[in-house]
Amino acid sequence: MAQTEDRRRVALRLVVLQVGVVVTFAALAISFWYLQVVQHARFQEMAENNHQRTLALRAPRGVLFDRNGKVLVENRLSFNISIVREHTKDLNRTIRLLAAVAGLDPAYVRQVVDRHRSEPTYRPIVIVEDASMSQVAAVTARRLDFELPDVLVQQVPTRQYPTDALAAHVFGYVGEASDAQRSGSIVGQSGVERVYNNLLQGEDGARQVVVNSVGREIRTEAELPPKEGRRIQLTIDYDLQKAAEDGFRHAGFNGSAVILDPRNGEILSLVSLPSYDPNDFAAGIDRATWASLNSDALRPLQNRAIQGRYSPGSTFKLVVATAALEEGIVDPDFRVNCGGGASFFGRYFLCHLKGGHGSVDMRHAIEKSCNVYFYTLGNMLGVDRIHKWAEKLGMVGTTGIDLPNEQESLVPSTEWKLRRTGEKWYAGETISVSIGQGQVSVTPVSLAVMMATIANGGTRVTPHLIRAVDEGGGWKVAAPPAVADRVAFRPTTLAALHDGLWMAVNGAGTAGRARIAGRDVSGKTGTAQVISNQGRQAARGSSRDLRDHGWFVFFAPKENPVIAGVIFGEHNEHGYLGAPIAKHVIETYFAKQEGQPLPQLVPMVPPPPPEADPDTAPVEQQAPVASAPGTTPGTMTQGTN
Amino acid sequence: MFERRLYHHIDFGLLIAVTVLCLLGLTQIYSAAGGWTTIVQTQIYAVVFGVVALLICLSIDYRSLADKSHFIYIAVIGLLLYVLFFGAVRGGSRRWIDLGVFNLQPSEFVKAALALVLAKFFGESRRGGVTNVDLAVAAALTAVPLLLVAQQPDLGTAATLIPVAFAVAYVAGMPMRLLGILALTALLAAPVAWKFALQDYQRERISTFLDPSQDARGVGYQQIQARITVGSGGVWGKGFTEGTQGQLRFLPVAHNDFIFSVLAEEQGFAGVIVALGLYLFVILRSLEAARLAKDRLGAYLVLGVLASFTFQVIYNITMSAGLAPVKGLTLPLLSYGGSSMIATLAGFGLILNVRMRRFTN
Repeated sequence: MAQTEDRRRVALRLVVLQVGVVVTFAALAISFWYLQVVQHARFQEMAENNHQRTLALRAPRGVLFDRNGKVLVENRLSFNISIVREHTKDLNRTIRLLAAVAGLDPAYVRQVVDRHRSEPTYRPIVIVEDASMSQVAAVTARRLDFELPDVLVQQVPTRQYPTDALAAHVFGYVGEASDAQRSGSIVGQSGVERVYNNLLQGEDGARQVVVNSVGREIRTEAELPPKEGRRIQLTIDYDLQKAAEDGFRHAGFNGSAVILDPRNGEILSLVSLPSYDPNDFAAGIDRATWASLNSDALRPLQNRAIQGRYSPGSTFKLVVATAALEEGIVDPDFRVNCGGGASFFGRYFLCHLKGGHGSVDMRHAIEKSCNVYFYTLGNMLGVDRIHKWAEKLGMVGTTGIDLPNEQESLVPSTEWKLRRTGEKWYAGETISVSIGQGQVSVTPVSLAVMMATIANGGTRVTPHLIRAVDEGGGWKVAAPPAVADRVAFRPTTLAALHDGLWMAVNGAGTAGRARIAGRDVSGKTGTAQVISNQGRQAARGSSRDLRDHGWFVFFAPKENPVIAGVIFGEHNEHGYLGAPIAKHVIETYFAKQEGQPLPQLVPMVPPPPPEADPDTAPVEQQAPVASAPGTTPGTMTQGTN
Repeated sequence: MFERRLYHHIDFGLLIAVTVLCLLGLTQIYSAAGGWTTIVQTQIYAVVFGVVALLICLSIDYRSLADKSHFIYIAVIGLLLYVLFFGAVRGGSRRWIDLGVFNLQPSEFVKAALALVLAKFFGESRRGGVTNVDLAVAAALTAVPLLLVAQQPDLGTAATLIPVAFAVAYVAGMPMRLLGILALTALLAAPVAWKFALQDYQRERISTFLDPSQDARGVGYQQIQARITVGSGGVWGKGFTEGTQGQLRFLPVAHNDFIFSVLAEEQGFAGVIVALGLYLFVILRSLEAARLAKDRLGAYLVLGVLASFTFQVIYNITMSAGLAPVKGLTLPLLSYGGSSMIATLAGFGLILNVRMRRFTN
């Protein structure tokens, strides 16, 4: 009896166990179904993230060539050392070890890591850019020893610019993209690198690698090779660029030069000094260098050719001459008697030559840079017609050069003054405008366009730097930018301007230092006053450099000019000091064209300055009688050569 | 001793299911260990030795074995004591007896020995029900090896002894009321144990289990990786030796504790269902053997052996899916491990033994 009851109880309890086991297994099956079927996609992705790592392969940027096919900017391979935190067990240890191995300050490494902390862990954090070979060797050895499996050494193409910071402001520089999405990618931040970034950038590739649980690469799964950026041929001529920069160095002052082909606006040379070394930016600029570039009083990062605005001085007389001739107010034989000064609106304005130039016509007025002659023309024209012709010559607004952040040049007009100050224009103000003083404020590149327009007979070309692009299937000539304006100057106008400019260099003018036998260089010097003479008194003792700037604008040869440009000498005091730089560039240009050896600059004894150097002879005169209302005597000024 | 007619009563269904599981284990170990390595070879030896052990346990009448169960029990206790003082140390635990070619892990054999001795003890009880004295004696018989194993320390294996005692006592007629009281006591004691009985690392393990992301690189890592491994397998799996998680070592001790995760990754949900089905078949078939047993001794013996097996299977599979705290418990028949394989197969020898001899006197 007890036996059967016993059996029944055992059987019952076995059934309970059976049911329990079945239920448990069903629960397990459901759990696995949930993980493997319902949530499969999520875990699949996690598994892939676990073992697959996508490494960006930085595309080399497009190579930049000069107009003759010489390589200007290329790429070299450098090494980046990065931390990939994905499989890092102890970040502190990695930082400590890496700092020790690579000879870095651990605090600095930590700082870099912290800056990128919020980024996805699979994205490498670059600790050392352009690492030295010893750093690479040390880290690679540790990697193989499994000591630093989460440290990555990557070969990346890095921009390589010419030595001596040649044409730095043309190229600009590259840097890490600032927006978060493209963090880590390198984009052009300035110059051609920035304007043509889309062409130069190329397409980054990617390499998908399989890594194991300690982050060691096992094999490459897929690789999408990077596509190199487009190759670009610039209009720059390496030899002319070098000649211009050498010229400045030889002359011993800073400044800017824009030299172009007046027939089409192709820029042959663009200089801005002092400069910076774009190579410093190529692998990420260090903070100290960046700070020193930014705090430098000489502002090396500024591209003076397009961003510096200065008063054009006597070079502006060409605008007034063009306006007067084209408006038909005078003909080239119109004569003015210069007695060393003249009165306008109750004020006496000086010429730079104390005794006066006597009776001069247009040609001689340009040659000698006679202030009185142009005061007279300016007075006859009025400011608005000066403004109109300044615009036709490219000196109002921007020139449209393919460089970023070009500043607008300014030539005043009645409308401008009303808009700007709400006051009407006083005719007396026109007098100083007519010799390029007053509110006239222009960039070197706009003066270069002015000179090109006068040289080619009235076509205001748009200066540009791009010549051809390699779209992948060979060079394709880039469509030149549209001509900004086209006015056919009267032949008499051109003849007078060209003759006057030729005489300024080859006659008794101020620009004799640019003379080259047989080349018929034509040009004009000018001085830009940094501060009025009154202001100069007031600022005495301050540390600011108050010395005048000097200009030299030119083209060559006189007939059918092929080269034109401007030399701007910062605080060099004399416009004629820029002339030898232009001469050297022009000589180089022709020597190259004719296959002659390029000229070398040799240290030379400076020739004596031309008689009555207007730059050193302050000719400002206070108005003794009632000056035009609203004009401040201080701004009425010095006439210059 | 082995009469010819007994041969016809061998449960070949169970035997085949167990064999298939062993082979499944071998292939997955091959995959997880990265090919034809000494690990695979060792496991093959273990299976061979296990089959020998199974045959031995099958051929001797379980009643004779039960009669000598106290000797077996004492011998195993002796081995445990030996291990405690002279055992080989690996990974901070003293669990093995170094036999030169082979490391013997006596704690694996405690399960079968305990099942034998408890079956014998309850089976011979002449009284109608199970008294409190009986339960106290059973508890003591369990506690001695349990404490010895826990000292190694090997809490996982020690824990597998508890189901043995409960299963035998339960089927033997332990009052349900008492079971309820014990469960309640355990529940109430848990917070106290949390505070006083557990080591820091144990507390950490449990709290990480509840929220693995709080320590994604340390203890929680294995758990997260286990879930990823299983989940990424999908319905049909990544293919044999194609599992990335196991192959690239994201999963620790893949050929051992996490062999089922590797199976789930490479063979997918389909493979999981097959394996779960095989285990379920083995367990239900063994319960059937207990039901058919000729005497209480046989039924209790089957239950005792089956209890630790079932507990380990369920716990390990749950852990493999990242659904239980990571504990060093292997999956019987599938995981790498010589002593475990031999002891498990020996246990199945006993189960087959009971069923085979259900008609003999």
